[in-house]
Amino acid sequence: MVNWLLEPLAYEFMQRGLIMAVLVGVVCALVGCYIVLRGMVFLGDALSHAILPGLAVGYLASAGDPTSLFWWALGAAVLSSISISTLSRGGRIKQDTAIGIVFAGMFALGIALISTMRSYAVDLSHFLFGNVLGVATDDLWLTAGVGMVVILIIVAFYKEFLVLSFDPHLATTLRLPARPLEILLSVLTAVAIVVSLQTVGVALVVALLVTPAATAYLLTKNLRTMMLLAVLIATSSGVVGLYVSYYFNVASGAAIVLACTVVFIAVWLGQQFRPSRHPQSAN
Amino acid sequence: MLKAIFPRLGKKHVHPESRYALELRELNVRFNGLSVLEDLSLQIERGLSVAVVGPNGAGKSTLFNVLAGLLAPASGQVHVHGHLPAQYLCLAYVPQSSLVDWSFPVSVQDVVMMGRAGRLGLLRWPGRQDAAQVKRSLDRVQLSQLARRQISELSGGQKQRMLLARALAQEADLLLLDEPLAGLDLPSQEQILGILGDLKKEGITVLFATHDLELAGEHFDRILLLNRKLIAYGTRKEVLTMENLALAYGGHMQVVETKEGNVWVGDIGGHHGHEVEGRHG
Repeated sequence: MVNWLLEPLAYEFMQRGLIMAVLVGVVCALVGCYIVLRGMVFLGDALSHAILPGLAVGYLASAGDPTSLFWWALGAAVLSSISISTLSRGGRIKQDTAIGIVFAGMFALGIALISTMRSYAVDLSHFLFGNVLGVATDDLWLTAGVGMVVILIIVAFYKEFLVLSFDPHLATTLRLPARPLEILLSVLTAVAIVVSLQTVGVALVVALLVTPAATAYLLTKNLRTMMLLAVLIATSSGVVGLYVSYYFNVASGAAIVLACTVVFIAVWLGQQFRPSRHPQSAN
Repeated sequence: MLKAIFPRLGKKHVHPESRYALELRELNVRFNGLSVLEDLSLQIERGLSVAVVGPNGAGKSTLFNVLAGLLAPASGQVHVHGHLPAQYLCLAYVPQSSLVDWSFPVSVQDVVMMGRAGRLGLLRWPGRQDAAQVKRSLDRVQLSQLARRQISELSGGQKQRMLLARALAQEADLLLLDEPLAGLDLPSQEQILGILGDLKKEGITVLFATHDLELAGEHFDRILLLNRKLIAYGTRKEVLTMENLALAYGGHMQVVETKEGNVWVGDIGGHHGHEVEGRHG
């Protein structure tokens, strides 16, 4: 058993992969709690697709240097989230409509750019489906640094994000800078997506944001506990997923997301078959 | 630098001893191109309790949104204690209970603590003073026992009292309450009216949107009768006249005899959400 656990650790690519999966799990779980509580899953999914043109341009500009790709992708995500917020500001265009327009347009631009440079298509597929076992040490440092910044921001603005998520009108009447905070939160979402790209890829990143947070939400009615549980679920799913990937030769990103999904299903089923603790309160 | 990013950091905490809690001058509000409030001019002295009544679609919630700084008027002026609404901190808006996400993972005291976030300012954590203010606020609405309760487990009356405690934690001196008694049983209604009575004694101005004309007449210093325009503002005797009510409620009149022999006219079927149509004046 111990051998079974230790054997993969002999490989440096597995060590790096595991560290990456844990780092990404922490960042995605924390940001994901706000996404789930605010009902912004569609925005998360849209941003994960809207970074494609950033990746394509980054590839053309730097021949695939991961650090450079990271900044281009982040730029595309931030541009998309600001466009969405600007389009829906007046109230004439609903937010989900704005998300649909921006995300499909950006994704199409990405596909158009990639289709013109056939030789890179294979490398870019890593970003569609992830390749956590191919991360370099530099990528780890970048992810760790960015992850620290995300955690610091979430701690520093805890009470503001809490008010904004629970009651946006209260945020305005308390004269908190609601719009900048709103944009900051969607930038954090963009950052979480971009750091996860190498782990699970564009197509699956929304699962890392949503599934651990949603599972934690089922288990607790306290926001801090929810964040802690989400981090635990996301990081342990990352580790379990990589072991599964190693022993059963499954794509690593898919294995991580499936591990998250299995935990969710187990918790959900557990709650279905347990009598409700709290009877509906009467007036 | 910070001020450039967050222009509202310059918000004002102190207000002059102005006589009026609220001054509106020729206020016009449009929503999606439609006129919702027209030519509203009004002065409300501080410390009064005011019932805001009118049929559905009369613009009660819209008026509150403008006063709270959530919605910008198309034209006209709003002054809250002499300030623009977006600059004024000592104002609390208690939303309709149905608009709150009661499944959110927070406790009663967490929600009341949210009321402190404006005074605390960015990047600061609540301290002992804030905890004390939260406790005082909970005491005043008799919810201290339930401070750690998850909000989804509260009854309707407790939920409303919690929102009131949050407003108290804001140290607001102008309270905007949107249909706070909707769906509550009689004891809960009386409890909340009792708390509001205490607040009035401390000089807090209360604006209270309601469908219930009888309640408005019995429990409040002034009545503001609204139907897209200001129909009347004053004491019960001045406002609740046959003529005013006909102007406000138009075709949806219902005649009710009261013990004083007055003929009251109300939009009793207000819960069905029908709009008031046609022209009334």
